[in-house]
Amino acid sequence: MLIDAKQAFSNTNKDEQADDLVHKVQQGDQAAFAQLYRQHEKPVFALCLRLLADQQHAEDVTQEVFVQLWYKISQFQGQSKFSTWLHSVTSNIAISYLRKHKNWLQKVVSFEQSGMDEQSLAMCNGLNGLDKLILRLPERARLVFVLHAVEGYRHEEIGNMLGMAVGSSKSQYHRARQLLQEWYEHE
Amino acid sequence: MSKVNFDDFLKEELAKPSKVAPSRDLWPGIERAIAEPPKSSINDRQYWPKVTGIAACFIAGLLAWNVSVMRPEQNTMRDLSALFEQQKQALLVQYEAQPALTNDWQQQLDELEQAEQAVKLALQNDPENAALLKMLAQVYQQQLDLINRVHAPSWQQI
Repeated sequence: MLIDAKQAFSNTNKDEQADDLVHKVQQGDQAAFAQLYRQHEKPVFALCLRLLADQQHAEDVTQEVFVQLWYKISQFQGQSKFSTWLHSVTSNIAISYLRKHKNWLQKVVSFEQSGMDEQSLAMCNGLNGLDKLILRLPERARLVFVLHAVEGYRHEEIGNMLGMAVGSSKSQYHRARQLLQEWYEHE
Repeated sequence: MSKVNFDDFLKEELAKPSKVAPSRDLWPGIERAIAEPPKSSINDRQYWPKVTGIAACFIAGLLAWNVSVMRPEQNTMRDLSALFEQQKQALLVQYEAQPALTNDWQQQLDELEQAEQAVKLALQNDPENAALLKMLAQVYQQQLDLINRVHAPSWQQI
Protein backbone atom coordinates (compact mmCIF):
# COMPACT_ATOMS: atom_id res chain seq x y z
CA MET A 1 0.00 0.00 0.00
CA LEU A 2 2.86 2.32 0.95
CA ILE A 3 4.60 1.52 -2.34
CA ASP A 4 1.41 2.31 -4.26
CA ALA A 5 1.08 5.65 -2.50
CA LYS A 6 4.73 6.47 -3.23
CA GLN A 7 4.27 5.50 -6.86
CA ALA A 8 1.11 7.60 -7.15
CA PHE A 9 2.91 10.59 -5.62
CA SER A 10 5.84 10.13 -7.98
CA ASN A 11 3.51 9.94 -11.02
CA THR A 12 1.61 13.06 -9.96
CA ASN A 13 4.88 14.84 -9.45
CA LYS A 14 6.10 13.80 -12.90
CA ASP A 15 2.83 14.94 -14.52
CA GLU A 16 3.10 18.32 -12.79
CA GLN A 17 6.70 18.70 -13.95
CA ALA A 18 5.68 17.80 -17.51
CA ASP A 19 2.81 20.33 -17.43
CA ASP A 20 5.17 22.98 -16.12
CA LEU A 21 7.65 22.29 -18.94
CA VAL A 22 4.93 22.47 -21.60
CA HIS A 23 3.68 25.72 -20.08
CA LYS A 24 7.19 27.21 -20.26
CA VAL A 25 7.49 26.18 -23.94
CA GLN A 26 4.09 27.76 -24.63
CA GLN A 27 5.56 30.99 -23.24
CA GLY A 28 8.41 30.76 -25.81
CA ASP A 29 11.13 29.31 -23.55
CA GLN A 30 13.67 27.67 -25.90
CA ALA A 31 15.68 26.05 -23.10
CA ALA A 32 12.50 24.34 -21.89
CA PHE A 33 11.81 23.25 -25.47
CA ALA A 34 15.27 21.66 -25.67
CA GLN A 35 14.45 19.76 -22.47
CA LEU A 36 11.07 18.72 -23.85
CA TYR A 37 12.80 17.51 -27.02
CA ARG A 38 15.24 15.36 -25.02
CA GLN A 39 12.35 13.80 -23.08
CA HIS A 40 10.29 12.91 -26.13
CA GLU A 41 12.89 12.45 -28.86
CA LYS A 42 13.10 8.65 -28.62
CA PRO A 43 9.37 7.79 -28.55
CA VAL A 44 8.68 10.24 -31.39
CA PHE A 45 11.52 8.82 -33.47
CA ALA A 46 10.41 5.25 -32.71
CA LEU A 47 6.88 6.02 -33.91
CA CYS A 48 8.20 7.70 -37.07
CA LEU A 49 10.47 4.74 -37.77
CA ARG A 50 7.64 2.24 -37.27
CA LEU A 51 5.37 4.17 -39.62
CA LEU A 52 7.92 5.03 -42.30
CA ALA A 53 10.30 2.02 -42.10
CA ASP A 54 13.17 4.21 -43.22
CA GLN A 55 15.75 5.59 -40.82
CA GLN A 56 16.62 8.70 -42.84
CA HIS A 57 12.98 9.61 -43.44
CA ALA A 58 12.15 8.92 -39.78
CA GLU A 59 14.90 11.33 -38.70
CA ASP A 60 13.66 14.00 -41.14
CA VAL A 61 10.08 13.63 -39.90
CA THR A 62 11.18 13.70 -36.24
CA GLN A 63 12.79 17.07 -36.95
CA GLU A 64 9.66 18.24 -38.75
CA VAL A 65 7.48 17.15 -35.79
CA PHE A 66 9.50 19.19 -33.30
CA VAL A 67 9.69 22.23 -35.59
CA GLN A 68 5.91 22.15 -36.05
CA LEU A 69 5.49 21.51 -32.32
CA TRP A 70 7.34 24.76 -31.55
CA TYR A 71 4.88 26.72 -33.65
CA LYS A 72 1.74 24.78 -32.68
CA ILE A 73 2.23 23.98 -29.00
CA SER A 74 -0.21 26.76 -28.08
CA GLN A 75 -2.94 24.50 -29.55
CA PHE A 76 -2.33 21.99 -26.73
CA GLN A 77 -5.07 22.70 -24.20
CA GLY A 78 -4.20 20.01 -21.66
CA GLN A 79 -7.33 17.94 -22.33
CA SER A 80 -5.20 14.81 -22.74
CA LYS A 81 -1.69 13.87 -21.62
CA PHE A 82 0.94 15.83 -23.56
CA SER A 83 2.64 12.62 -24.73
CA THR A 84 -0.70 11.34 -26.13
CA TRP A 85 -1.25 14.61 -28.00
CA LEU A 86 2.34 14.57 -29.30
CA HIS A 87 1.92 11.01 -30.59
CA SER A 88 -1.22 12.03 -32.46
CA VAL A 89 0.60 15.05 -33.99
CA THR A 90 3.49 12.74 -34.94
CA SER A 91 1.21 10.16 -36.57
CA ASN A 92 -0.50 12.83 -38.67
CA ILE A 93 2.77 14.41 -39.80
CA ALA A 94 4.31 11.02 -40.66
CA ILE A 95 1.26 9.95 -42.68
CA SER A 96 1.16 13.28 -44.47
CA TYR A 97 4.90 12.92 -45.23
CA LEU A 98 4.31 9.42 -46.62
CA ARG A 99 1.56 10.75 -48.86
CA LYS A 100 3.70 13.64 -50.14
CA HIS A 101 6.76 11.48 -50.71
CA LYS A 102 4.90 8.55 -52.17
CA ASN A 103 7.08 6.83 -54.68
CA TRP A 104 6.31 8.38 -58.07
CA LEU A 105 5.98 4.91 -59.52
CA GLN A 106 3.47 3.89 -56.86
CA LYS A 107 1.24 6.68 -58.16
CA VAL A 108 1.06 5.11 -61.59
CA VAL A 109 2.02 1.46 -61.15
CA SER A 110 0.61 -0.75 -58.40
CA PHE A 111 3.83 -1.69 -56.62
CA GLU A 112 3.18 -2.03 -52.92
CA GLN A 113 6.05 -0.57 -50.93
CA SER A 114 7.76 -3.44 -49.13
CA GLY A 115 9.22 -3.18 -45.65
CA MET A 116 12.83 -2.65 -44.60
CA ASP A 117 15.46 -5.07 -45.87
CA GLU A 118 17.84 -7.02 -43.60
CA GLN A 119 20.76 -4.65 -44.26
CA SER A 120 18.80 -1.51 -43.27
CA LEU A 121 17.40 -3.29 -40.22
CA ALA A 122 20.91 -4.15 -39.07
CA MET A 123 21.84 -0.45 -39.20
CA CYS A 124 19.11 0.58 -36.72
CA ASN A 125 20.36 0.41 -33.14
CA GLY A 126 18.12 -0.52 -30.23
CA LEU A 127 15.31 -2.23 -32.14
CA ASN A 128 13.43 -4.75 -30.03
CA GLY A 129 12.21 -8.08 -31.38
CA LEU A 130 8.77 -6.84 -32.37
CA ASP A 131 10.10 -3.67 -34.05
CA LYS A 132 12.41 -5.80 -36.19
CA LEU A 133 9.36 -7.69 -37.43
CA ILE A 134 7.09 -4.64 -37.81
CA LEU A 135 9.63 -2.91 -40.03
CA ARG A 136 9.59 -5.85 -42.44
CA LEU A 137 5.83 -5.53 -43.04
CA PRO A 138 4.51 -4.13 -46.33
CA GLU A 139 3.47 -0.49 -46.04
CA ARG A 140 -0.33 -0.65 -45.61
CA ALA A 141 -0.24 -3.59 -43.22
CA ARG A 142 2.51 -1.87 -41.20
CA LEU A 143 0.67 1.45 -40.94
CA VAL A 144 -2.55 -0.18 -39.78
CA PHE A 145 -0.78 -2.45 -37.30
CA VAL A 146 1.24 0.38 -35.75
CA LEU A 147 -1.76 2.71 -35.51
CA HIS A 148 -4.10 0.06 -34.09
CA ALA A 149 -1.95 -2.26 -31.98
CA VAL A 150 0.77 0.14 -30.87
CA GLU A 151 -0.93 3.56 -30.84
CA GLY A 152 -4.43 2.37 -29.94
CA TYR A 153 -6.45 3.99 -32.75
CA ARG A 154 -9.80 2.45 -33.71
CA HIS A 155 -10.25 1.08 -37.23
CA GLU A 156 -12.75 3.89 -37.98
CA GLU A 157 -10.10 6.48 -37.07
CA ILE A 158 -7.45 4.64 -39.08
CA GLY A 159 -9.79 4.55 -42.07
CA ASN A 160 -10.10 8.33 -41.93
CA MET A 161 -6.40 8.89 -41.40
CA LEU A 162 -5.29 6.63 -44.24
CA GLY A 163 -8.22 7.16 -46.57
CA MET A 164 -9.29 3.52 -46.57
CA ALA A 165 -12.49 1.64 -45.73
CA VAL A 166 -12.92 0.29 -42.20
CA GLY A 167 -13.03 -3.24 -43.65
CA SER A 168 -9.70 -2.68 -45.42
CA SER A 169 -8.15 -1.46 -42.19
CA LYS A 170 -9.35 -4.61 -40.41
CA SER A 171 -8.12 -6.91 -43.16
CA GLN A 172 -4.72 -5.17 -43.28
CA TYR A 173 -4.45 -5.61 -39.51
CA HIS A 174 -5.28 -9.29 -39.84
CA ARG A 175 -2.71 -9.63 -42.64
CA ALA A 176 -0.06 -7.88 -40.51
CA ARG A 177 -0.71 -10.15 -37.53
CA GLN A 178 -0.51 -13.25 -39.70
CA LEU A 179 2.79 -12.17 -41.22
CA LEU A 180 4.24 -11.21 -37.83
CA GLN A 181 3.20 -14.55 -36.32
CA GLU A 182 4.61 -16.49 -39.25
CA TRP A 183 7.96 -14.64 -39.04
CA TYR A 184 8.07 -14.93 -35.24
CA GLU A 185 7.43 -18.68 -35.30
CA HIS A 186 10.00 -19.32 -38.03
CA GLU A 187 12.74 -17.13 -36.54
CA MET B 1 13.74 -23.71 -24.07
CA SER B 2 10.52 -23.24 -26.00
CA LYS B 3 9.40 -19.90 -27.35
CA VAL B 4 6.58 -17.99 -25.69
CA ASN B 5 3.43 -18.04 -27.77
CA PHE B 6 2.89 -15.21 -30.23
CA ASP B 7 0.10 -13.45 -28.30
CA ASP B 8 2.22 -13.30 -25.13
CA PHE B 9 5.23 -12.12 -27.14
CA LEU B 10 3.11 -9.35 -28.65
CA LYS B 11 1.72 -8.30 -25.27
CA GLU B 12 5.18 -8.20 -23.66
CA GLU B 13 6.84 -6.31 -26.49
CA LEU B 14 4.04 -3.74 -26.80
CA ALA B 15 4.31 -2.99 -23.09
CA LYS B 16 8.04 -2.19 -23.35
CA PRO B 17 9.13 1.36 -24.18
CA SER B 18 11.09 1.49 -27.43
CA LYS B 19 14.76 2.32 -26.98
CA VAL B 20 15.51 3.03 -30.60
CA ALA B 21 17.31 6.36 -31.14
CA PRO B 22 18.17 8.45 -34.20
CA SER B 23 21.63 7.88 -35.69
CA ARG B 24 22.51 11.58 -35.40
CA ASP B 25 21.76 14.51 -33.13
CA LEU B 26 18.61 16.09 -34.57
CA TRP B 27 18.49 19.04 -32.16
CA PRO B 28 20.89 21.44 -34.00
CA GLY B 29 18.66 21.28 -37.09
CA ILE B 30 15.52 21.88 -35.06
CA GLU B 31 17.15 24.73 -33.15
CA ARG B 32 18.19 26.42 -36.38
CA ALA B 33 14.77 25.93 -37.96
CA ILE B 34 12.88 27.44 -35.02
CA ALA B 35 15.30 30.37 -34.84
CA GLU B 36 14.12 31.45 -38.31
CA PRO B 37 10.56 32.61 -38.92
CA PRO B 38 8.49 30.15 -41.02
CA LYS B 39 9.58 30.50 -44.66
CA SER B 40 7.19 32.02 -47.16
CA SER B 41 8.61 29.63 -49.77
CA ILE B 42 6.43 26.90 -48.22
CA ASN B 43 3.91 27.57 -50.98
CA ASP B 44 6.58 26.87 -53.61
CA ARG B 45 7.40 23.59 -51.87
CA GLN B 46 3.72 22.63 -51.95
CA TYR B 47 3.35 23.75 -55.55
CA TRP B 48 6.09 21.66 -57.13
CA PRO B 49 4.98 18.22 -55.89
CA LYS B 50 1.51 19.02 -57.28
CA VAL B 51 2.97 19.97 -60.65
CA THR B 52 5.15 16.84 -60.80
CA GLY B 53 2.20 14.71 -59.61
CA ILE B 54 -0.05 16.08 -62.36
CA ALA B 55 2.75 15.60 -64.89
CA ALA B 56 3.25 11.99 -63.73
CA CYS B 57 -0.49 11.24 -64.05
CA PHE B 58 -0.60 12.87 -67.49
CA ILE B 59 2.43 10.89 -68.68
CA ALA B 60 0.99 7.70 -67.20
CA GLY B 61 -2.30 8.27 -69.03
CA LEU B 62 -0.43 8.99 -72.22
CA LEU B 63 1.65 5.85 -71.77
CA ALA B 64 -1.39 3.73 -71.05
CA TRP B 65 -3.12 5.03 -74.18
CA ASN B 66 0.06 4.63 -76.21
CA VAL B 67 0.62 1.08 -74.99
CA SER B 68 -2.97 -0.07 -75.41
CA VAL B 69 -3.92 1.73 -78.61
CA MET B 70 -0.79 2.56 -80.53
CA ARG B 71 1.55 -0.28 -79.56
CA PRO B 72 -0.12 -3.45 -78.51
CA GLU B 73 3.18 -5.19 -77.67
CA GLN B 74 4.20 -4.78 -74.00
CA ASN B 75 7.55 -3.35 -72.90
CA THR B 76 7.29 -2.27 -69.29
CA MET B 77 11.00 -1.41 -68.98
CA ARG B 78 10.80 1.04 -71.90
CA ASP B 79 7.64 2.67 -70.50
CA LEU B 80 9.10 2.97 -66.98
CA SER B 81 12.32 4.40 -68.36
CA ALA B 82 10.47 6.99 -70.45
CA LEU B 83 8.39 8.03 -67.44
CA PHE B 84 11.47 8.23 -65.25
CA GLU B 85 13.45 10.31 -67.78
CA GLN B 86 10.60 12.85 -67.91
CA GLN B 87 10.56 13.10 -64.10
CA LYS B 88 14.33 13.35 -63.84
CA GLN B 89 14.59 16.08 -66.48
CA ALA B 90 11.75 18.03 -64.83
CA LEU B 91 13.58 17.90 -61.48
CA LEU B 92 16.93 18.90 -63.00
CA VAL B 93 15.31 21.89 -64.72
CA GLN B 94 13.49 22.79 -61.47
CA TYR B 95 16.76 22.80 -59.50
CA GLU B 96 18.95 24.26 -62.27
CA ALA B 97 19.47 27.61 -60.58
CA GLN B 98 19.73 26.16 -57.08
CA PRO B 99 23.16 25.19 -55.71
CA ALA B 100 23.52 21.59 -54.54
CA LEU B 101 24.27 21.00 -50.85
CA THR B 102 27.01 18.43 -51.54
CA ASN B 103 29.75 18.35 -54.16
CA ASP B 104 29.79 14.64 -54.87
CA TRP B 105 26.14 14.17 -55.79
CA GLN B 106 26.94 13.81 -59.51
CA GLN B 107 29.28 10.95 -58.64
CA GLN B 108 26.54 9.31 -56.55
CA LEU B 109 24.15 9.77 -59.47
CA ASP B 110 26.70 8.15 -61.83
CA GLU B 111 26.87 5.13 -59.50
CA LEU B 112 23.08 4.81 -59.51
CA GLU B 113 23.06 5.12 -63.30
CA GLN B 114 25.56 2.24 -63.48
CA ALA B 115 23.22 0.16 -61.31
CA GLU B 116 20.36 1.13 -63.64
CA GLN B 117 22.34 -0.10 -66.67
CA ALA B 118 23.12 -3.42 -64.94
CA VAL B 119 19.43 -4.04 -64.18
CA LYS B 120 18.43 -3.06 -67.73
CA LEU B 121 20.97 -5.54 -69.09
CA ALA B 122 19.42 -8.30 -66.99
CA LEU B 123 15.95 -7.25 -68.18
CA GLN B 124 16.96 -7.72 -71.81
CA ASN B 125 17.05 -11.47 -71.15
CA ASP B 126 13.83 -11.51 -69.14
CA PRO B 127 11.84 -8.35 -70.06
CA GLU B 128 8.79 -8.86 -67.82
CA ASN B 129 10.56 -10.20 -64.72
CA ALA B 130 8.66 -8.51 -61.85
CA ALA B 131 11.58 -8.61 -59.39
CA LEU B 132 13.94 -6.96 -61.88
CA LEU B 133 11.32 -4.35 -62.82
CA LYS B 134 10.84 -3.56 -59.14
CA MET B 135 14.61 -3.27 -58.73
CA LEU B 136 14.77 -0.88 -61.69
CA ALA B 137 11.94 1.20 -60.19
CA GLN B 138 13.84 1.37 -56.89
CA VAL B 139 17.05 2.53 -58.62
CA TYR B 140 15.01 5.20 -60.43
CA GLN B 141 13.43 6.27 -57.15
CA GLN B 142 16.86 6.51 -55.50
CA GLN B 143 18.02 8.81 -58.30
CA LEU B 144 15.00 11.11 -57.84
CA ASP B 145 15.44 11.06 -54.05
CA LEU B 146 19.12 11.98 -54.43
CA ILE B 147 18.34 14.93 -56.72
CA ASN B 148 15.62 16.14 -54.35
CA ARG B 149 17.69 15.62 -51.23
CA VAL B 150 20.73 17.60 -52.37
CA HIS B 151 18.57 20.49 -53.54
CA ALA B 152 15.57 20.52 -51.19
CA PRO B 153 15.57 23.75 -49.15
CA SER B 154 14.23 22.36 -45.86
CA TRP B 155 15.71 21.59 -42.47
CA GLN B 156 16.11 18.04 -43.61
CA GLN B 157 19.69 18.83 -44.57
CA ILE B 158 20.57 21.00 -41.60
